[in-house]
Amino acid sequence: MHESAVTNTLLARGASTRLTVALLVLLAAGAIAGYLHEAIAPVALALPLGLLVLNLLAAVATKPVFRRQAPLLVAHLALAALVLLAAFGRMTSLQGRIELTQGIAFDGQVLDVDAGPLHRSRLAQAVFTNEGFTIDYAPGIKRGRTRNAVRWTDAQGRVQRAVIGDHEPLVLAGYRFYTTPNKGYAPVFTWRTRDGDVQGAVHLPGYPVHRLRQARAWALPDGTAAWVMLKTEEEVIAPDAPSAFALPRNRDIVLRIGDERFELAPGGRIALPGGTLVYEGLRTWMGYRVYYDPALPWLLAASVLATLALALHFALKFRRQPWRAALHAPAELRSAAATQPLAVSR
Amino acid sequence: MSLESLLLLPALGCYAMAGVAAWVEADRRASAFASATALLLAGGLALHTASLAARWQAVGHGPFTTMYEILSSNVWSLALVSALVWARVREVRAAALVVLPVILLLAAWLLVADPAPGHFPPTYFTALLYVHTLLGKIYLGLLLAAVGVSGLVWLRRSPRGARRLAGLPSDEALDELAYRFAAFAFVFDSLMLIAGAVWAQDAWGRYWAWDPLETWAFLSWLALAATLHARASLRVSPRVHALLLAGAFALAFLTFFGVPFVSTSPHKGAV
Repeated sequence: MHESAVTNTLLARGASTRLTVALLVLLAAGAIAGYLHEAIAPVALALPLGLLVLNLLAAVATKPVFRRQAPLLVAHLALAALVLLAAFGRMTSLQGRIELTQGIAFDGQVLDVDAGPLHRSRLAQAVFTNEGFTIDYAPGIKRGRTRNAVRWTDAQGRVQRAVIGDHEPLVLAGYRFYTTPNKGYAPVFTWRTRDGDVQGAVHLPGYPVHRLRQARAWALPDGTAAWVMLKTEEEVIAPDAPSAFALPRNRDIVLRIGDERFELAPGGRIALPGGTLVYEGLRTWMGYRVYYDPALPWLLAASVLATLALALHFALKFRRQPWRAALHAPAELRSAAATQPLAVSR
Repeated sequence: MSLESLLLLPALGCYAMAGVAAWVEADRRASAFASATALLLAGGLALHTASLAARWQAVGHGPFTTMYEILSSNVWSLALVSALVWARVREVRAAALVVLPVILLLAAWLLVADPAPGHFPPTYFTALLYVHTLLGKIYLGLLLAAVGVSGLVWLRRSPRGARRLAGLPSDEALDELAYRFAAFAFVFDSLMLIAGAVWAQDAWGRYWAWDPLETWAFLSWLALAATLHARASLRVSPRVHALLLAGAFALAFLTFFGVPFVSTSPHKGAV
């Protein structure tokens, strides 16, 4: 009996709507703290959100008036569901980025991965090939729309093609692949040894953002340090006229391996102690953002439900118009109304 | 001078004169000035609509990219919502005394903003831009209406205000009406955030990333949520409620017009 009384007291205190206001203020403080110090953001947001959900559940359990107002109840329960879905999404989500050379298939390797502890990777089922892109530019090198051709094989073994870009991700196995403004040129090499050929590409820094430093160091398959630079001063994207992303006319490269310097045109090769390096030519590469969150459609459903239920609650609640009564009352009552409250709904 | 400017300047002039007419109407209790206020507001809106259309035609896109365009479109939408409230809720037309100075402040800012056209980024080629923007404008307009109505409670505190605004409904009735505007402002704020999140998911590959604008938009939403809860649970007085609404509006104002000064990096889609 005593335990029951304690529980009821705790529930009543936990259901306080004054506590709700305090927790909303705490959540605002958490949002500011998380904005200023990213490292504490998860805790700063999760703690007040969790307490708000508990506060809501306690209110539903102890306040009959809450349960009698169905739209208000639905709105708040949908908000609680929104918080729980966001947490579930965070635990099962994956975010990262990939870079794909034109003509090369995605091999499942994601850079800068941020995956939730419950994420089970199915990236092996999300194989696609970047088949090149077009991007228009307005004067001032202002990027226009991106159109990226991609190809993949579906579950039935049929080859599928699509053009993705702004607002149009490629969705495979639940993973959403978005093109990004990060893209550039990629010299393609073949490393030829007695054991066979290995082909690869070096992604030069993004273009046109880093157009003045189109060079990158990398390591050959035998570990030899190398450095490559695109040998062109051509302004591929006109700064003062409508233009488009394209390969430069001059595709020669400069290679530095150890103390030696080489200039190679497409098809050129150099013999090195570990093998022969063949410069096959210049292609483009595209940077993609990878996003996976199974809760996305449910988050949208919960947020829309919460808002529409709240709108319905307000519409039902506000059918009366007490302020009009004050105006249309006789003059002497009207002046009295300036100091005396009308019956207002809360 | 462009056609847009030729139309904009008299439009802003009409808004300014409407503010003067509303003040005279309330101060002198001269109901004849109500017609002048209505005429000036309607004339200003018509000219402003034509000005926005002329710019749209000239630059090839809507007023969404530069501070000049954002200010102009918000002056227009706030004036439109205020005019509709003014026409629909005749009992509290004096709210124009609070609302019109805010609109005129934005109009003055508009006059000194750079009118050069901006780049229309590829992430803006979506119907969600219009949905998100429209919902945001309704939200800010309704919140300003709430501030206008509740602000009358404070205007009435002065001896002159007490005399001139005595014919208005009681403080509690004004408070109730302000609450209703704020409640629906909250609904439209929520819808604006939802539309923005849907847009952001496919424009930037994430629905929410706590960039400066998103963080301040969330804080504005929380401030309004806390204000609505405070009125219901703390039973705050009409004067305190008016202050809370003014605070929520100040945060929304900062979110709409101030964050571009805090950060220029994210949430522009132009990178």
